[in-house]
Amino acid sequence: MRIPFISMFMTSPFEGLLEHAEKIKECVWAFQQAIECHITEQCESFEEFRLEVDTLESQADAVKRRIRGHLPKGTLMPVDKFELFRYLHEQDKVLDAVEEALDWISFRSEPGIPDALHKDFFLLVDAVLDPVEEMCRMVAEARKYFTNFADKQRQLIKDIIRTMRHQEHEADKVEDAIKAKVLNMQIDPVTVYHMIRLAETIGSIADHAENAGDMMRAMLAR
Amino acid sequence: MAWNIGANDVANSMASAVGAKAISIRQAILIAGILNIVGAVFIGSHVTNTIRKGIVSTDILADPQVALIGALSALLAAALWVSFATWKSLPVSTTHSIVGSMIGFGIMAGGFGVINWTKLAAVVLSWIISPVFSLIISFAMFKTIVKLILVKKDAFVRALRLSPAFIGLAAFVIILSFLFKTPLGKTLSIDPWTALLVALILGGSVGYAGKAALRRFTDSDEDDSTEMVFRKIQIGTSCYVALAQGANDVANAIGPLALIYFLVNTGTVGAQVPVPAWLLLFGGIGIAGGIGMAGHRVMETIGTKITTLTNTRGFAVDFAAASTVLIASKLGLPVSTTHAAVGGVLGVGLAGGIEAVNFRIVFQIMVYWVLTVPAAAFTSMIIFKILQLFV
Repeated sequence: MRIPFISMFMTSPFEGLLEHAEKIKECVWAFQQAIECHITEQCESFEEFRLEVDTLESQADAVKRRIRGHLPKGTLMPVDKFELFRYLHEQDKVLDAVEEALDWISFRSEPGIPDALHKDFFLLVDAVLDPVEEMCRMVAEARKYFTNFADKQRQLIKDIIRTMRHQEHEADKVEDAIKAKVLNMQIDPVTVYHMIRLAETIGSIADHAENAGDMMRAMLAR
Repeated sequence: MAWNIGANDVANSMASAVGAKAISIRQAILIAGILNIVGAVFIGSHVTNTIRKGIVSTDILADPQVALIGALSALLAAALWVSFATWKSLPVSTTHSIVGSMIGFGIMAGGFGVINWTKLAAVVLSWIISPVFSLIISFAMFKTIVKLILVKKDAFVRALRLSPAFIGLAAFVIILSFLFKTPLGKTLSIDPWTALLVALILGGSVGYAGKAALRRFTDSDEDDSTEMVFRKIQIGTSCYVALAQGANDVANAIGPLALIYFLVNTGTVGAQVPVPAWLLLFGGIGIAGGIGMAGHRVMETIGTKITTLTNTRGFAVDFAAASTVLIASKLGLPVSTTHAAVGGVLGVGLAGGIEAVNFRIVFQIMVYWVLTVPAAAFTSMIIFKILQLFV
């Protein structure tokens, strides 16, 4: 039996958005472990973590495709459909950056990260983790906002976005410090290039998270 | 036929309440059953009259033999078509089926001339207007709720303060519909203005009584206390929808039956004879039976599928649909409760209240809407011919 009244209702895309964000959070945790593993050189499970990130990425991709594929023409939502897609695109780029960073390490894993840079990279990874975790919280809170439209809730999300912006700025500073340090180290130029690019890629995780926050801000606009 | 209505259309009245978890499935079935009967008996006569003698001219009904066969074939055709549609999962409306089949028999019995085209045009027009009307009401209602309550810091307090207005408005329309042009109103011999006044006073007092009850039973400490206020109010509005549905939909089943009843009883078709209340009661019980037997399955589907409808949204949808249907019933127009409910949901959707609604269902409904009338008419023609062979 198909009742027109029931068939009007569809699965909410925000549910998928939250699922996607949560997958990303899992991903960055695995990423952190992978990096720690690589730097300390004491564990051999770097490849395992990299594969775990890969699986999580493909799962998140499936979620993304599901959201995109299940919003037919004529869907009414509290936000514009393309705003939602742009947001999703940006959120997905966070994930791509995580994967790229690990791939980049694996391309030249032998000499590894120079000892002098260990602490800086730990710092950088920690710094980019914060905005991603914050992003996940933002999606959950945004979902609440779209049901109760409370001003208080809106303010809360705006605060989260602001925090993300600060955190991105912090991550940027760490990234710049690493770059300056690497360029002034008297080491093999290939390693220099490898490290610079690695710092940039890891730094871009925070950039994309911040961009996602900005997109969310656009969706909140009245 | 009545059973089919109960089984299919109960979704419209109770869906938003069950989906928003305002009431349990068992409660929904009980409320829908009882209030459908009440609505059918007390307010249902106008629409029944329209179906009975408004669409097909009474000239053709002067011959009892033809009229008897005609009414029977119309009833059978509509029941057949609706059952077929249910089996095939097509979103058709019982209202449109019965109107279509009445047209079919009219054309067969006396050519195109016997169809009361102006009345039919009014009915068709009401099918277009009712969802639009419902859409506008729910849009306005939801915007009001957002602007006056949800956005504010003290949303809970504001919801309580404004609750008498919401409850009172619903009560006002209900009381007015009971007093206007019903047997009840006539026996009390109330003129329109007194009725208006009585409804206003009663509606107001019901609103304030509701507020007092809300204050008593709602916990303000909860996280989504505003939604809780509307959850309580929604129990009332689902009753409102069930009532309106009974008033309008009973005609679908009882219209032709009423015609048959007169023929058998009096041998002629009296244009002035009202529909007896017990016949309406019979229709109401039929609908309630349908709800009782098939409602459970429908409700369960709703409970799992409609998760994005919260109480404030549900309230706006219920209120809009019920007001539309009840007003249409008072005007004697057989409108589809489904369409009113769909219009209501789209109104809230347009106001940005629902995470995702499929607007395209409207076009789908329109396609079946256009198909149902001729299909039912055609079925009715065939049955009419077959029955004529036997008589």
